[in-house]
Amino acid sequence: MRNCVMRRRTAVTVIAAVALGFFSIRTARTTTQQSGTVVALSGQCFAEAGGWRRALRIGDPIYVGDTVDVPTDAKLQLRMGDGSVISLASGSRMTIHTFEIGTRGQQRDARLTLATGLLRAVVSPVSQPSIFEVDCAAGKAAVGSTDWFMEAQPGSVRVGVLTGSVILTSLATGRSVTIPARWGARLEAGLDPVAARLWSAEEFADVIGRTDVR
Amino acid sequence: MNKAKLPIEKHRIQRGPNCSKVRIGAVPLLIAWFAVFPAPAHAYIAAGDRVFPGTLILPQIAPTDETYIQGATPFSGTPLVAPAFRGTDAIGIFGKTLTEGLGIRLREVYSRVDRAGASSRYGWQNLTATAQYMAVLDGPHEFLFSVGVDRQFGGTGAGRVQRRGFSGLGATTPSIYFGKGLGDLDIGYLRPLAISGTFGYLIGDKSPRPDLLMPGFAIEYSIPYLVSKVRALDLPDLIRALTPITELFLMTPAGQAHGVTTTALIAPGVSYAGEGWQFGIEAMIPMTRATGRGLGVTAQFHLSLDYLFPNSIGRPLFSPP
Repeated sequence: MRNCVMRRRTAVTVIAAVALGFFSIRTARTTTQQSGTVVALSGQCFAEAGGWRRALRIGDPIYVGDTVDVPTDAKLQLRMGDGSVISLASGSRMTIHTFEIGTRGQQRDARLTLATGLLRAVVSPVSQPSIFEVDCAAGKAAVGSTDWFMEAQPGSVRVGVLTGSVILTSLATGRSVTIPARWGARLEAGLDPVAARLWSAEEFADVIGRTDVR
Repeated sequence: MNKAKLPIEKHRIQRGPNCSKVRIGAVPLLIAWFAVFPAPAHAYIAAGDRVFPGTLILPQIAPTDETYIQGATPFSGTPLVAPAFRGTDAIGIFGKTLTEGLGIRLREVYSRVDRAGASSRYGWQNLTATAQYMAVLDGPHEFLFSVGVDRQFGGTGAGRVQRRGFSGLGATTPSIYFGKGLGDLDIGYLRPLAISGTFGYLIGDKSPRPDLLMPGFAIEYSIPYLVSKVRALDLPDLIRALTPITELFLMTPAGQAHGVTTTALIAPGVSYAGEGWQFGIEAMIPMTRATGRGLGVTAQFHLSLDYLFPNSIGRPLFSPP
């Protein structure tokens, strides 16, 4: 009889603890800043944060601090809080470090890391000076309102610009190259950026196709 | 020196050991190179990570959207002996792409011809137009190959500044062009080397304008390539943007020469690359007596319209949206 009571108490305690933990996590998650929403995907994509990994579905929120994992044969598209659209190709991993939007969307401070893979970012215009930076192991790219691509590869990164312009900076040397529309440039780790050059229609078609989520 | 004796001096020169080869061509102290012969043009072309910078003597190796001005003149102090002349050229070029691989280029040259014992002459040379098609672009191997045809329209310039007998005569020059960077080879600090070149065959409209074979080569060592593809070096900003370059251009008659002899020009210099612009300067050193005497200098300021105005004038006329 006494054992039975003890078992019940233990069970209630465990259930209470699990419930408390669950709601604590939910509370913590809902208080974390949402940076965007999944608007399209193909295949199974994931978001990771604090050691937790969750499968993504259309409409799911993406938070600051999340690392988005797009495995091989999957693609993902996010609409960010400022209206920018980020598309990730197969085999990409991107972390959202900061995504702050000022009142009425006039200011923006967005800092992302592309560990590997290819992204396309259609960055929305804002009226006030803003930061939209994507970095990787070799360098970082800073943009205004633009439509552009960034592909992080082991030891290098390449950037192509459809509209607007992007500044690609070497983390090692601090030197930059400005890439205008229809141009692209590469950067190898530890070196200066390679001089920008015109990208061919085939090169753009390749990165457009790989980031097109349909 | 008594001016009346000058023709005698010239006569003595022509009676030298090479007098059979030195006739029309030996007289100028420095040929008005750009006015008489086919288009010099700047190359701001890329094959993969290789950018072929400005050449000031050789033709451009591929079509692009560009405009530039260039000047060429003898160094001051070059003696002028009658009836020789000294040419100074101001050159303007506008290049436009029709598609990604096909483009046209227009060139005009305004010349000043200084003559010993006579007043200088000024005027426009014949208008030149070039159509060019880039047939091969191999980025990983930093190689490109183009074909083109250059047309000088006879009668569009001022005869007073043109070579005697050439006034009113046009010419057509089919050409091939290539560029090859050595960055794909495992050769360490030699990877920034590149070579570009051209081979043209100028066909004169009619006598006395002779047909000419025109090969040319340029070898360059790109410091921007060195610091972005080979090794991080702590170099001053000025040096980081420089590309030392040496060009060699030859012309030799094919068939009836009409007094024109082989000429060769070597031009060592440097090109400084900015974002969307370049400045190049080279010495002009005649390698044969027929090419001329004395040294010259040519300088070029180039704007890449496709970089500066990518959505308007720098865009191919016919390109996908």
